[in-house]
Amino acid sequence: MDVTSDDVMDAGRPAGPRRRPNRRQVLGAAAAAGAGAGVLRLLGAGDSQLASLQALGAGRDSTGGRLDWVSPLDQEQAQISHLLRRATFGADSAELAAATSAGYSATVERLLQTPADPPPPMPGGDPTGPLNLGQLQLWWLEHMLNSATPFIERMTLFWHGHFTSDYQKVGVQTPFLHWQNLTWRDMALGDLGTMLSRVTVDPAMLRYLDLGTSIGAAPNENYARELMELFALGVGHYSEDDVRAMAKALAGWVEPRPTGSVQVTLDKANQVVRRLPTYAQPSTGVFVPRRAYRGPAYQLLGKTDSWTTPKALAQVLAQSSTAGLIAGKVVQSFVGVNAAPAYVARLADGFRASGYDVKELMRAVFMSPEFLAPASYRALVKSPTEFMVNALKAVGARNLGQLAAQSAANMGQALFAPPDVGGWPHNDAWISSNNVITRVNFVSQLLGRVRQLPPASDIARHLDSTVSPATASALDAAGDDQTRWFVALASPEFQLK
Amino acid sequence: MQDRIGINQLKRRDFLRAGLVFGAGAAGLAAGYAAVPDAFARAVYAAKTNGLGNDNILVMIQLAGGNDGLRTVIPIQDPALHDLRPKLAAMSVGAALPITPSLGLNQNLKGLKSLWDAGKLAVVEGVGYPNPSYSHFESTRVWETGDPTLRQVDGWLGRTLAQNYDSAGHPLTGCACGTTGVPGVLQDAQATLTVINDQKNFGFTGKGDVKGQVGAIYKNTPGIYGALFDTALATADDAVSTLKTAQSAYRAMASYSDTTKLVYASKNQLDAALQLASELIVTGTGVKLLHVTLGGFDTHYTELTRHDDLMAYLDQALSAFYQDLAAHGKSKNVLVATWSEFGRRPKENASGGTDHGAASPVLLVGDPVRSGVYGQAPSLTALDSTGNLRYSVDFRSVYQEILNTHLGADAHEILGGTYEPLGFLGSPVGAPAPA
Repeated sequence: MDVTSDDVMDAGRPAGPRRRPNRRQVLGAAAAAGAGAGVLRLLGAGDSQLASLQALGAGRDSTGGRLDWVSPLDQEQAQISHLLRRATFGADSAELAAATSAGYSATVERLLQTPADPPPPMPGGDPTGPLNLGQLQLWWLEHMLNSATPFIERMTLFWHGHFTSDYQKVGVQTPFLHWQNLTWRDMALGDLGTMLSRVTVDPAMLRYLDLGTSIGAAPNENYARELMELFALGVGHYSEDDVRAMAKALAGWVEPRPTGSVQVTLDKANQVVRRLPTYAQPSTGVFVPRRAYRGPAYQLLGKTDSWTTPKALAQVLAQSSTAGLIAGKVVQSFVGVNAAPAYVARLADGFRASGYDVKELMRAVFMSPEFLAPASYRALVKSPTEFMVNALKAVGARNLGQLAAQSAANMGQALFAPPDVGGWPHNDAWISSNNVITRVNFVSQLLGRVRQLPPASDIARHLDSTVSPATASALDAAGDDQTRWFVALASPEFQLK
Repeated sequence: MQDRIGINQLKRRDFLRAGLVFGAGAAGLAAGYAAVPDAFARAVYAAKTNGLGNDNILVMIQLAGGNDGLRTVIPIQDPALHDLRPKLAAMSVGAALPITPSLGLNQNLKGLKSLWDAGKLAVVEGVGYPNPSYSHFESTRVWETGDPTLRQVDGWLGRTLAQNYDSAGHPLTGCACGTTGVPGVLQDAQATLTVINDQKNFGFTGKGDVKGQVGAIYKNTPGIYGALFDTALATADDAVSTLKTAQSAYRAMASYSDTTKLVYASKNQLDAALQLASELIVTGTGVKLLHVTLGGFDTHYTELTRHDDLMAYLDQALSAFYQDLAAHGKSKNVLVATWSEFGRRPKENASGGTDHGAASPVLLVGDPVRSGVYGQAPSLTALDSTGNLRYSVDFRSVYQEILNTHLGADAHEILGGTYEPLGFLGSPVGAPAPA
């Protein structure tokens, strides 16, 4: 893939040509390092290379600007690693070998076309009644680790951050959050229209944003507002009157009825026993016409009609800003920060023209020059989930999902517990003093529990042989493989994608 | 047979065989880095010479989700409240704790009522801003940045930190407690601050010199996030050392509340966060600006029990915090202020809750306050076109007084304007106390 566009990201990047030592300097550095020197040392920073960087100001150029990674994305091997880091949770050796022999484009197609590997039942069978939150979180993390279609899991995580719900409000007395996860996975690469229909009547969502208690006579605005602000149109593309009108249009849905009940001991010591509802199978909300709005026609997003839920959702899709909001969120999660508006607009146009087909949108993203442009390299910060799953896969510890599950909250990403209705934070928001400590501690714990580490030569691949002088020196100084893996997984390089 | 060969043993031809990039591509790699501006640049302990010359400390408590002002400071004499809120008003009005003939605190704000009686609580009524946003995220950003036009990206306390304090050697000057990320209020490209979620787990674990090892890697990290990573690590490192000393020197002298009674659990452990704040203050770590959050205020449904619960929790945690500081003789310089992105709709909805609103009260607690009610309680009969309360006090008036009078900073410089004075704080910094 020919990538020449250096200026697809319009901010935070150099306007002028990039500073690179010339080829002779570089080869000189390589020669000085000599045969037998470490690969990262050789490729990243041999001693004389380090010296030349220090001459530039030890990580800063002469104007005080910080130095950037030099993108290896002109090579297919690196392109494929980059793709799998972002579209999945990073590849292990076998996955990478398969993708490399298939090539970049074929790998993209495989990701898009392979039907979802369904998750296994939860331990003890899929719940029909109350959930165990810890079990639910672990169940999903383990599927991220072991699924044959990790791209689908990555997309499910994306939608969990977009159409988000929080266990603290939804509660775990019903199986609703488990159902929601199954639904989000099932629709992960579908079309947005179907998604909005399914999201609107999803039982967990009915609780989370209160649509399940809204009635036409005195509507609850919560879901109506967030549907327009966060899920589809974006702030500024609707009025307060539209919020009220949308709330009227959508009122009338209630949670599905239980089909039975089960006795649950909530507190053994005090013998608190409660009867909780059970549900024979996953189902959606139920529309109750007498709870709906029954007045005259009214205006919603510029059109007067007797609105129903399907009509109102179609009206959302008819708004020009919807495609751009989704495309912008996809770019923020898969391509880079400060994307050029023209790039997002191009993706949005294609998305709209495809009938809001998410598969088409993701193909357009992965096949765009911008995705592989130098400015896109290490332009994103892995979320805690991505970081942990990637680390576990890298050291072949797919059995240690429990470690990820217990470490997640202190990194800020306990699944099913987003900070607010805006879903998961992005990129720089994941970096803080707290989170650096918790990520490093996770690596220490992980390495303490892995019996046999993969060869340290794998490290170069995980880091694309592109490391900072500091990381290169630390790898060089490391006396054993355990330390090398520690440096690699704890490094800033590994936090990025 | 390279499988068990470490990097240092790999030979050049092995890289080639292993398919590792080399050759022409390696030129770029070895070249390493090109110049980029720091998108998230932070000055690592940038020395500032104009640090503020007082010992005052500010603690901001965010009531996230939109706190219902009409159930916090209740207009107990207004019949309109019952018309608007048949379900929500009846109980709360009767049980309210009167502070003036027309206003009462939520029945669960018992500790705050005692603080009011002791002259240590000020209430600013009707706080808001023009053309209010009903979006959580927009309105939160407005309050965080102090800019209703949403042009400013840095937080108002982040800017205060960056412009006024010498953070050399004091990574705890600005600190967010009980959260994993940097709160918007404290955010600033040039501010160094610490984030501590759970004090027990704030520190490196593992064998050997983990601190030293990681410190060596997070140095001059290239790329747009480079400075952010390096600063986060350096700050963590220093904060961990400071905290270790602090921990052994501190003993809580009040009983902080627990969250077990909350019907709807808050994500944020306000009690633990405030206890950590107290520890940082009592042990003299150099902390100046603290931020903590209590979530769960987006009460669209069954608000009665939920909101009363949150009020009780806030009251317990805040009262304990004050008592703890007072018992340690540290309360005289500490001001606590609450903020929330908006209040709630005066008219209740069919779910027994309230939707997003506008103006709501700000509570200020501590020895520095001049007890009283400031601003105007908004009228319940002259609502705006969206059925929401009209504000009478610009929220920047509150910030201005905190900056000028409590912190001794230049509010005009930080807020970019001058706002109505309010007078909820006693004497300005440096001025003699009023007779």
